[in-house]
Amino acid sequence: MRIQEFTKGIIKRNAVFSLALGLCPTLAVTIMVENALGMAFAVTFVLVLSNLIVSVIKGFVPPDVRIPCFIVVIASLVTVIEFIMRAYSPTLAEHLGIFLPLITVNCLILGRAEAFASRRPVADSILDSLGMSVGFGLALIMVSAIRELLGSGKIVIFGHEIVPTVLSSPAVAMTLAPGAFLTIGILLAIMRRFRVI
Amino acid sequence: MSRARVAGLKPALVLMVICMVFSAILVVVHDLTKGKIAEVEREEVNRALSEVFPSAEFEKIDDYYKVFENGVLVGYALLGEGQGYGGVYGGEPIKLVVGVNLDKTVKSVKIISHSETPGIGSKIEEENFLSQFSGKTLEDLKLRSDGGKIDAITGATISSKAVVDIVRGEVQKIASEMGEGR
Amino acid sequence: MENLLTIAIGAILVNNIVLTRFLGLCPFFGVSTRLRNASMMGFAVIFVMTASSIITWAIYQYLLIPLNMEYMRLVVFILVIASFVQLTAIFVRKHSQRLHRAFGIYLPLITTNCAILAVVLINTMVKEYSLLETIVNSVATGVGFLLALVLMAGIRERLDLADPPGAFRGLPIAFVSAALLALAFQGFGGMLL
Repeated sequence: MRIQEFTKGIIKRNAVFSLALGLCPTLAVTIMVENALGMAFAVTFVLVLSNLIVSVIKGFVPPDVRIPCFIVVIASLVTVIEFIMRAYSPTLAEHLGIFLPLITVNCLILGRAEAFASRRPVADSILDSLGMSVGFGLALIMVSAIRELLGSGKIVIFGHEIVPTVLSSPAVAMTLAPGAFLTIGILLAIMRRFRVI
Repeated sequence: MSRARVAGLKPALVLMVICMVFSAILVVVHDLTKGKIAEVEREEVNRALSEVFPSAEFEKIDDYYKVFENGVLVGYALLGEGQGYGGVYGGEPIKLVVGVNLDKTVKSVKIISHSETPGIGSKIEEENFLSQFSGKTLEDLKLRSDGGKIDAITGATISSKAVVDIVRGEVQKIASEMGEGR
Repeated sequence: MENLLTIAIGAILVNNIVLTRFLGLCPFFGVSTRLRNASMMGFAVIFVMTASSIITWAIYQYLLIPLNMEYMRLVVFILVIASFVQLTAIFVRKHSQRLHRAFGIYLPLITTNCAILAVVLINTMVKEYSLLETIVNSVATGVGFLLALVLMAGIRERLDLADPPGAFRGLPIAFVSAALLALAFQGFGGMLL
């Protein structure tokens, strides 16, 4: 068990900024910090459990049907988290909409199952998935904070005003598609400039 | 069966077993959360109903509610839903409750849930927009640009139009229902 | 008829799957460096999208709904898509070397293209389309994907010749260009269909 397996995913090999994986939810649900937290939670649940299960069953699964087996595991886990969110946090489930079931095809999850969990021991796989999830969550929170602040003028999380109204006439375009692309593009350039990634 | 044949079947068998195991897990989790999900939905509807008609009793008839206060019929409440802007995104449709007075005017409208764009379409939830509906008759229930008396939210014409259309549809439904009842 | 036209225009322009719905972004950025690759990928997606929509529609209507098993949709749909893609790859390899050379490398990538699963889910769960509407919506969404990919590839071929600041080279400038493209597509949002 090595602690680097955990830390590498947070910044150095960040899922979104360095590996360019899981872009769709990063752009789609980051309208609000609240949605980003919900998505980060759901992805963490699926990623950690799928890495765990894949690394446990890797010995029994013949290579020909490896991908279909992994997909079944992931799709089932996604359905489970969807039920749980609908039951205990219906508003969040509504906001995430179709992006909740679409976690199934988040390339980050299948990518880690295929590239890491299917060849490494269980403990390493769990550490790897935890690190990747933290990194993914951080990226989502960063992008969503920028977009909510510029697009709505304030940040509200679960009814609490974290940042009070700072912009009286916010740039609505930031909550729409162009704002999402622009935010990530500029963040990426800043990170490269200062060699963070 | 030869050994090679058995070996060839192994991938299919493994996949089948995994499918069966995870289907079983899903069936169990679905069963466990099913009740809770239905309860959450009922609660949301009830909360919206009691906001439209505070301290009243509701009697469900087909797809609408008769509303009684102290045993006297005071109006009707209907659940409506339709595609807004967010629904096209693949999110949930707009769901709302319409309260209708006995004279077929709107008492008030409450949004149960929606997935419109935050900061723009999400303003359909706000009192500024919804209070416009109170007291309106069927003919008034159109956007001002279509000859009605409801002002659309700036920048959110699609969401506003969706709400107005849902409300008009529901009022129309109950109006024809009331016509028959007499 | 009018309804079908609304669905088609809506899916291609107003709600373009890549530029306004944020789906299929991995191939959008991954294979949009060359115009030729982009159009090949686009056509492969149109084919897989349409075919898997028809199959999953039938399974949903005639198997899952009668059995009250709608909640199994995700597992079933993704397995259908994955196996359909695999079968197509095998078929193409066996029967046409030319097609295999042209499309071979794109097919495996399509399984994890979220645009496919999204269209399938929208057709069945969200909109509850009829078979004809399902086919129109899938083809149109695929065409929208092709359009976005080709436009982006055209821009990126030009970008190769441009000289952006060092930190912006590659992916960051592609994101900024996509933002401008998306801004242009926002203009279609005003069309009330």
